[in-house]
Amino acid sequence: MLMALVRRLTLSFLILFMVAVFVFVATEVLPGDAIDVYLSADDLAVMSDADIEEMRQRFGLDRPAWVRFWEWFSGAIFGDLGKTLIDGNDIVDLIWHPLLNSVILGAIITAFTLPTAFIIGSITGYKRGSRTDGAVSTLTLVGYSIPDFVIGNVLIILFAVWLAFFPAVILVFSNASTSELLAVSLLPALTVIIGHVAHQSRLLRAGFIETMNSEFVERARLSGLPEKWVVFRHALPASIIPMLNSLALYISGLLAGLVVVERVFGYPGLGRELIEAVARREVNVVQGITFWSASFIIFMNLLADFAIIALDPRVRSAKSA
Amino acid sequence: MSEATTWNRIQSSPGTMVGIAIVLLHATVAFLAPWIAPYEATSIVGFPMLPIGTPDFLLGTDNIGRDYLSRLMMGGRTSMFVALVAISGSMAGASFLAISAAYLGGHYDDFVMRIVDTMLAIPGILFVALIVTGFGRSEAVLIFAIGFSYMPGAIRVIRSHALTIVPLGYVQAARLRGMSVFRIFLRELLPNCIEIITVEFALRMSSSILAVSALSFLGLGISPPTPDWGLMIAEAVKTIYAAPMLVLLPSLLISTLVVGLNLASDGLANAMGLDAARGLN
Repeated sequence: MLMALVRRLTLSFLILFMVAVFVFVATEVLPGDAIDVYLSADDLAVMSDADIEEMRQRFGLDRPAWVRFWEWFSGAIFGDLGKTLIDGNDIVDLIWHPLLNSVILGAIITAFTLPTAFIIGSITGYKRGSRTDGAVSTLTLVGYSIPDFVIGNVLIILFAVWLAFFPAVILVFSNASTSELLAVSLLPALTVIIGHVAHQSRLLRAGFIETMNSEFVERARLSGLPEKWVVFRHALPASIIPMLNSLALYISGLLAGLVVVERVFGYPGLGRELIEAVARREVNVVQGITFWSASFIIFMNLLADFAIIALDPRVRSAKSA
Repeated sequence: MSEATTWNRIQSSPGTMVGIAIVLLHATVAFLAPWIAPYEATSIVGFPMLPIGTPDFLLGTDNIGRDYLSRLMMGGRTSMFVALVAISGSMAGASFLAISAAYLGGHYDDFVMRIVDTMLAIPGILFVALIVTGFGRSEAVLIFAIGFSYMPGAIRVIRSHALTIVPLGYVQAARLRGMSVFRIFLRELLPNCIEIITVEFALRMSSSILAVSALSFLGLGISPPTPDWGLMIAEAVKTIYAAPMLVLLPSLLISTLVVGLNLASDGLANAMGLDAARGLN
């Protein structure tokens, strides 16, 4: 079991390193370098080659790629993402408050989504083929088919345009207090929750059905255990495993959802910062956000793997063997 | 499982048939749009913001006076095209890598799977953002980015299916007969993975159409003046108080298309004895 943990840990570090290489190389193979992004055609017209070369040196772009990679990577894992190209601000300072705001929104969504999806998924999975299952499954299919930005805009039309309960666009600064953020995060959270509950409950339903058909549940039943015991003690814990296995996808999906709703509602989060950075072609900022998000996913995946090892005796023995 | 029974099961499921009908309807309109749309979708033909039901402009006009019905008809074409090309390429690449990794095993398999793990750790939307920041917005960039970001998940699913086929008698027999690796791949492995590849294709088609329209909405996808539902919604949001219908109409179309695609692919997966929800990783 200890071996399994160590193996997972080493693998996570390897993947973290590969993500860093990938993110760095992706920006390295781009046509031109940071200078070309930074300078407009007008700037280029008036600047001599020597000027440009001098700037390249100032940005440190004349050094070999692996030196710059190492500098960036060693900074990034210890919380320094470098500076923005245009005004030379610290990237971490720029994204810190938006990041916290997105974490708050993401936490609210997750705290709501996972328990709800768990209940819906296990009930529909248990009553598979029944009328309830049919109706709920159709509803969840429709739920995860409708794009987040459609749900968000429909909510705006309903509550802001027709009923005038809420303002359509949020006007808070990115360093607003938590209580202020909670007040404005209701509709954005609801938007993402609808789609994610639908998706996650389908995953759980599939996992639950698979576990209920598995041999160890059959054995538990045959040995005369009461049905409640079989479901709550044996089937449910095991059916969380597919959910844990797809944790990376849940977080990726959540991130995509956040980017969209932050745009729809003007919520001052990381997603909004990202879209603005893309518009300004701030490669460094996009790079930093991508690397940190990937690191978070790798870390959560590692936790999920540990949880699976603890939950599933089969994995425990297979991995340590 | 034979073709006939799969088709029979699809036919006996009303949800699946509804899904297929919706998708066919969307595909037909999208295909015929250049001929049946009443106006040129990108040209200004009337007063701006005409309401629904105006004579000559059945669904009114948008904020600069382009015919909304024509734009709605044309609005699904680009995202459907982008998704189709991206996912076709993506599935072809994924199938090749997944099946060869499963068959060859060893360091090659390890290498492919570590790349897959790496790609899966990078959220799709950030990957696309990174590519678009560097290369700018164009359909080619979008196709590449979408296709690439859907590969790792598909590789995982197809590989785990292929792993169950590799040890089977007929594959081993083919190997012992001295059949070349290439022929074993083409004659024995690929045909037996075709069902799972089809389901993956269908599932990822609907999810990539969602992705393309979301990216267009965010300003990372298809660029104006191309008529596109995601873009049209982003545009219409500016006048949401005055004309909520301009937001609701494209929303309705994109939603029905994805619901149709998901109903169809869900039914297809069930008919083949696979669970669609499990295929989504």
